[in-house]
Amino acid sequence: MTTQTVSPKKLDAEALSLDSVSLWQITRRRLLRRKSSVVGMVILAILILIALTAQWLAPYSPTLSMLDADPPQKVEKRSSPCIYALGCPKDQPQHIMGTDGNLRDEFSRMLYGARLSLMIGFSTVTFAIIIGTVLGALGGYFGGWIDNVIMRVMDVLLAFPSLLLAIAIVTVIGPGLINALLAIGIVSIPAYARVVRGSVLSVREMDYVSATRALGGNTFEILFKRILPNALTPLIVQGTLGIASAILDAAALSFLGLGAQPPTPEWGSMLGAERNQVFTAPHLVFYPGLAIMLTVLAFNLLGDGLRDALDPRLAHTS
Amino acid sequence: MKRNLSVLLSLVVLASLMLAACGGGAATEAPATEAPATEAPAATEAPAATEAPAAYEGMMVESPDCDYGGEFKSIEAVDEFTVKVTLCVPDPAFPSKIAFTSFAIQPAEYLEATGGNGDLLEKPIGTGPYMVESWERGNQLVFKANPNYWGEFSGAETLVFKWGTESAQRLLELQSGTVDGIDNVGPDDFAVVEGDSNLALFNRPALNIMYIGFNNNPQVEGFDNTTNPLANEKVRQAIAMGIDRNRIVDNFYPAGSEVASHFTPCSIPNGCVGDEWYGFDAAAAKALLAEAGYPDGFETVLNYRDVVRGYLPDPNVVAQDLQAQLKENLNITLNIEVMESGAFLAAADAGQLQGLYMLGWGADYPDQTNFLGYHFGAGASKQFGDKFEDITSALDSGAQLASDAERAPFYEAANNAIRTHVPMIPVAHGGSALAFKASVEGAFASPLGNEEFSVMNNGTDTFVWMQNAEPISLYCADETDGESLRACEQVTQSLLAYETGGTAVEPALAESYDVNADLTEWTFHLRQGVMFHDGSSLDANDVVASLSVQWDAANPLHTGNTGAFSYWSGLFGSFLNAPPAQ
Repeated sequence: MTTQTVSPKKLDAEALSLDSVSLWQITRRRLLRRKSSVVGMVILAILILIALTAQWLAPYSPTLSMLDADPPQKVEKRSSPCIYALGCPKDQPQHIMGTDGNLRDEFSRMLYGARLSLMIGFSTVTFAIIIGTVLGALGGYFGGWIDNVIMRVMDVLLAFPSLLLAIAIVTVIGPGLINALLAIGIVSIPAYARVVRGSVLSVREMDYVSATRALGGNTFEILFKRILPNALTPLIVQGTLGIASAILDAAALSFLGLGAQPPTPEWGSMLGAERNQVFTAPHLVFYPGLAIMLTVLAFNLLGDGLRDALDPRLAHTS
Repeated sequence: MKRNLSVLLSLVVLASLMLAACGGGAATEAPATEAPATEAPAATEAPAATEAPAAYEGMMVESPDCDYGGEFKSIEAVDEFTVKVTLCVPDPAFPSKIAFTSFAIQPAEYLEATGGNGDLLEKPIGTGPYMVESWERGNQLVFKANPNYWGEFSGAETLVFKWGTESAQRLLELQSGTVDGIDNVGPDDFAVVEGDSNLALFNRPALNIMYIGFNNNPQVEGFDNTTNPLANEKVRQAIAMGIDRNRIVDNFYPAGSEVASHFTPCSIPNGCVGDEWYGFDAAAAKALLAEAGYPDGFETVLNYRDVVRGYLPDPNVVAQDLQAQLKENLNITLNIEVMESGAFLAAADAGQLQGLYMLGWGADYPDQTNFLGYHFGAGASKQFGDKFEDITSALDSGAQLASDAERAPFYEAANNAIRTHVPMIPVAHGGSALAFKASVEGAFASPLGNEEFSVMNNGTDTFVWMQNAEPISLYCADETDGESLRACEQVTQSLLAYETGGTAVEPALAESYDVNADLTEWTFHLRQGVMFHDGSSLDANDVVASLSVQWDAANPLHTGNTGAFSYWSGLFGSFLNAPPAQ
């Protein structure tokens, strides 16, 4: 993945011609011009809406067995979708995505799964960005042995395939959603640390940084008020794309039984739990699989769009 | 002169023969390392026949007394084809026990050569219809037909064992024709198989039990006697009443399954004597839990292995339903912990699991000693924590009686005591099924899970079987896993055997046996002319060696895969010369 830093010297003609327009306005304009980015944003907006309103949209609790429903429902486990509007007999309870192996409403679990997946994506990336930014900034700004130590540790982490390393970490600290988040967060840190370090290295030699230093600004002020804000754009791109891979990794861990534990409605674990029913109840693997794919696709489309929109060299090609 | 010399030589020969007849000459020919039985403090090996230099040197292993806690008193090779087993206590189930796979016979020389493990774990030398040709770990196990097999054989020349943990994968392989038979058809796939004219479904009788075990061991990690809620009998009773077992069986088990009224299936004699298990009563359960000091419930774990067995066809689903039920009915929070199969079994056996766990048992032979005796008897493992004296004493008494009517009161007492103490909750006797290509002749489902492929034929040279998992090892004296046992059963044989597709005991390596009136002396007459796969002949010393390496913990060959030899201790009590820790 390539990331580009934006420096004042490289601002393109479009930006220079629009004196009163900020970088973010240019970015938004470029994003909206790109159809794939719009598709990504629309999917993401729907997902966020679903996640925020799951408790009102879902007809049942995601952990409620229909055997415990009031009154208990006469429904088979792993029943096919039943939608009245599509001709399902009215004497059957309506489950628009069917029921799972424990007679829970699949649709309700899918809705709550969206909340969990987004939470996983945002929280792991936030964690990784915070740690990675601090480490990358320190390494890039101070250089020398601090940089060497930090970046060699990051290189060691990068040497492992991220999912394999996450599995190893979860194996050590034990399965569970929180531990899975921690593991994914840890394996994501090096990417952010390297991006920030690169940005800091290029920005720290800028005149305005030198000016701040000459005016007596302390290290903290220079680093966090002058350098980091100007090294933000590649981090945004990396973060957006990172959410997609974090969601995918979390789903993989849950599929393997190392992430979210039952009865938590997590798409990966839902997929894993019903993997043996791929022929007899394909809808139970189709819906979670589709949801994971769409979510990852949305973040990737948005991330690609952001990368291009924030890259001055691609201004006229988007 | 020549005549005098001839007379002298004749006299010398005659004198030698007379000395030999008195035993002096033969005594010097006995192996120097084997001591006379009367002089041994513990296990001894001594020549049993000393009449002539050419006489058979029969081995004997004997315990000086019966105080060591085991059932065996001695094993003796009376002559080349006669083995006598003397027991400390009467055991009417002895034929059923000794017929089990774990007590199969291998050449004494091979056991010695392997040191009790090594090649023995991967290339057993038996007398069965198939010989191990190769074992590619992680891929397949290949057998070749035994050209010297003494029994009837109608199988394929080559038998291949494959494995796949996913029922969907097994079914797909069968449908695509790459395998000829599969074990444990997924519960939801029964109809698929029945609807396919190219396939045939064989239901396996529910001769098993799925139970929820409790670790009431006060020393369990993370708890002491006062904080482990499961050490409290009332808590266990409350959980027993707070689980709707009908709901589990009705919704998550295939046809042919039934709710367990007792630990042992009712088709086994005396299996269902005594009071039926607790009915579902959420209100009473809640009240009892409050009385036990946990009105608001508590949090614990539910351990299991994600492995399909006939007694538990859909582990994840059942686990989650238990989780939901206990939360709903008793506010007990169960954190599900799925463990690797081997680690789970080892931890359960050692009593190291916290909380609740789901496990099961399939019949090895149809007798209460294989169900109640193995799990709750004096020789049982620590899987349920501390043993209950009223249960063990009733089981010990019942196991020594011959008639079912005489045994009934003891098993009734044992079942009632189990119901009171609740070391586990019997949930279901699970129906399961195998599937074969419709073209396979002789296919069947064994109620004991020991399908014999030497009677199945698909019309080609190669028969491919796919089961749930890879065997752990092929030295089944030290294995308990059904996937390993089935593979062993193709290769090795015991003195007796279970009939094909049934549970009745019939002759195998022993053509017949005699027993004394009090059921303590069992004399087996071996089949003559039986050859092992390595070309050596079966004799009585092979039987003594094969059994004594399991029985005698001091035997240098008592090593095996893990050294646990769980079936021996489970069925025959303590080991001879067991170290104090055991």
